[in-house]
Amino acid sequence: MTDLVERYLASVERRLPKATAQDITAELREALLAKVDAREAALGRALNADEMAEVIKTFGAPAVVAARYEGRMHLIGPVLYPWFWPAQRTAVGVTAAIFLVLAAIRALASDRPVQAMLQSADNVIGWGLAAFAIVTLVFVLVERMGDPVKLAEGWWDPKSLPREHIRKPRSLFESGISLFFDIVFMLFWTSLLPFPNELPLRDGASVAVTLSPAWAAVYWPVLALALMAAAGHLHDMVRPAWNRLRSALSMAGYAGGLAVVWVLLQSRPLVDVQPQPGTSAEDLERALLLVDGVLLVSLGIAALVWAIALAVEAYRQVKATRMSEPGATAAA
Amino acid sequence: MPIAADIMEALRLELRRGTLILAVLGTLRTEKYGYTLKTELAGAGVDIDEGALYPMLRRLETQGLLVSEWREDARRQKRFYRLSDDGAAALAFLTSEWRAMNAALDSILGSSGLGSSGLTEKRR
Repeated sequence: MTDLVERYLASVERRLPKATAQDITAELREALLAKVDAREAALGRALNADEMAEVIKTFGAPAVVAARYEGRMHLIGPVLYPWFWPAQRTAVGVTAAIFLVLAAIRALASDRPVQAMLQSADNVIGWGLAAFAIVTLVFVLVERMGDPVKLAEGWWDPKSLPREHIRKPRSLFESGISLFFDIVFMLFWTSLLPFPNELPLRDGASVAVTLSPAWAAVYWPVLALALMAAAGHLHDMVRPAWNRLRSALSMAGYAGGLAVVWVLLQSRPLVDVQPQPGTSAEDLERALLLVDGVLLVSLGIAALVWAIALAVEAYRQVKATRMSEPGATAAA
Repeated sequence: MPIAADIMEALRLELRRGTLILAVLGTLRTEKYGYTLKTELAGAGVDIDEGALYPMLRRLETQGLLVSEWREDARRQKRFYRLSDDGAAALAFLTSEWRAMNAALDSILGSSGLGSSGLTEKRR
């Protein structure tokens, strides 16, 4: 029946480091045989196969026993684990968002948007899995080669904790959607993505609406503001909580938006309308008034929203400064 | 609400995990080989699986707390373990820690302790 013992030991041995494998299995063999001897002495006879298997089973499965000799029974230990899933969420989330935006752009530019979107789905899944694998690999390497305890302690500082009490952290979805619209706007603004500009009127007439030359003066500032907004939303995907730098970027964006509106209001109209076949001069006049009016009101609403947002961000900056001052806690 | 058996078992294992090393070091003040060590521990009420005991012995030896040698005994080669000087120092340190912890826990739990009656109440 020692065949079972030898098979068990061989199974353990092949999982052990070569340098110590023979020594360890020699000791396990002795321990197993001592236990078998004791059992046989108690029974007064040799053990049968079932009884022998029962004795061997008390030592544990070969993989488990071998792993215990290695000392490490985890890929990512409890010290690093609290950072593992947040890192995965961020990496996979950002990767998926980028590829979803690319897929959406590809779909918008395609004649067959649904098909183009489905074709891009493979990329989203593939790169999401790749991001997951890379983050896992980095954590495993840190666990194996670094000093996780020291790293975990060094990674955080109470002074750099996010100011979640200043503003609720933005969700990944919210930031992703905002980024998507930033990109769509930039594609429209740079004319990389053609948008329909024909405005239908009554009786089958229509006009083509384009932005007036007044906008030429703000072309680059608007593009810069859109890029700033996209950078801010990308930043929110990684660090969703409020911080001074991000707030300053938002404030610059709102102030820039207000400046653009002010420049545009200096010269009217905001749009040009070109007649399409069958459009009367009266229709043209009415369309110009209507679209110009709608755009004017929209800009007014946007300016109001940006002014309020600017004031809110300024208040948050003051609040953060007050809370950082010595004695702020005692005063509170 | 009764406490689930698996939770109780996990708590029990967690409580005794750290004490096993102390029990092994204490038992190896006199030289023993694996099987007699396990038998003696079991006799004292400290049961430990071979699959955990032997890796632990090797780890303690790697840490310099035990020394071992292969020797023939009863016509079989056996590995005998005993405390090293560092192991004796570690045992003294851990024993004083254990006693201090025990005294602290006694003062928290009371000499009569919550005992089985308290737990039994909860289990009901």
